[in-house]
Amino acid sequence: MKDKALETKLRVLTLQLDSWKKLHDFITYGLDKAKPIVSAEQERQFTEIRAYLLQETEFVFKELDLLGELSGKAMNVLQRASSIRGVRDLTNDEVRRLEMEWNGVFTKLGVLQGQLKTQRKELAKMHPLKYYLNRALRRPILATS
Amino acid sequence: METRLLIVNSDPVFQDRALALFDMMESIEVRVVRALSDAISVLLGENFDALFVEGDGPLALEQAANVRQHFPSLEIVCLVSGPCDSDSTQLATQQNINVILANGSDRRLDRDIRSFVQTLERPLGAAAEGIDPCHSLIGNLNQFSAAEILQMSCLGQRSGRFTFKSGRGNSEIYLQQGSVRHAVFDSLEGEAAVAEVFRWRQGRFYFEEGIISQVQTVNRPWAHLLIDNLQKLDETLELASVNASSYEG
Repeated sequence: MKDKALETKLRVLTLQLDSWKKLHDFITYGLDKAKPIVSAEQERQFTEIRAYLLQETEFVFKELDLLGELSGKAMNVLQRASSIRGVRDLTNDEVRRLEMEWNGVFTKLGVLQGQLKTQRKELAKMHPLKYYLNRALRRPILATS
Repeated sequence: METRLLIVNSDPVFQDRALALFDMMESIEVRVVRALSDAISVLLGENFDALFVEGDGPLALEQAANVRQHFPSLEIVCLVSGPCDSDSTQLATQQNINVILANGSDRRLDRDIRSFVQTLERPLGAAAEGIDPCHSLIGNLNQFSAAEILQMSCLGQRSGRFTFKSGRGNSEIYLQQGSVRHAVFDSLEGEAAVAEVFRWRQGRFYFEEGIISQVQTVNRPWAHLLIDNLQKLDETLELASVNASSYEG
């Protein structure tokens, strides 16, 4: 049995996590003193990922019911990390805050992804009749949901 | 065994009509990427049963035709949302690209996608492979690439049959006196089948001395095939590396 809303949540969450991971790769690269060259192509890719996150974050967090909890942290990260070169120019304090807030967003999304996957697994075992009965009676589909 | 689909969609969060349909299909595994270069990079590393390219008609078809140059045996589908001109339709036919119109109703789109996905479902084939006394050479493609072993065999003026087995399927390449005479992979024959095997990085191969093909589908000397295919492979890797280099630096 598959639940449409659950599948949509998992899909957008996976895409969102993927973008946050890529953003982190670039931030790490920017902060790495041993890699001094930042190419125009890298900056372009960074801006592209930042643009995806800027336009999708609010929508995705709303879908996942995380808007209040994560929106501020996510916006702080995206505003501080304006470019790879910009990240390089941040003070140690700002870098620490950036990493802490990125970690806050990533951890929450990762945990939620695990929870949603668990729900999907349980749903796959559920008999279709029980699923539709729960829906018709407006009961929670799963005990955990 | 799940059918694995790779989907190129530049805006998978907001333009997700087809993705929502894929979500509800059983026994499929879907991976979504946003750009063609991401898709090529993923295709080089993993096996997928089909690639779906979503987008406006001509652009999506152009992207699909681009992928076809690098992956001759891959099933490619274009989910086109806009109108398709006759040139684009001709291109799709020439390049063996399936076109599904995405501007109809959800039910119709669902039906079209499902009927295509059903054609991909294959029965599980047991790998009938073991060491046979007639296999004069056996090895792994992750240790020796197809190019290396074919080069070695052609230089040695060998005649016989190479069988390559990977997750993508089985392919056979027949040599005669150090030249490639015939190659077959799935529905592909000749140079296209050789080009396919060049891309395999996982799998096994073995050589059976003395088996000659009566059919001849490859007419060019080995050196030409080698150069052309290595050049093509370089182009594919270059496309894929646009992204990889950005992350790795």
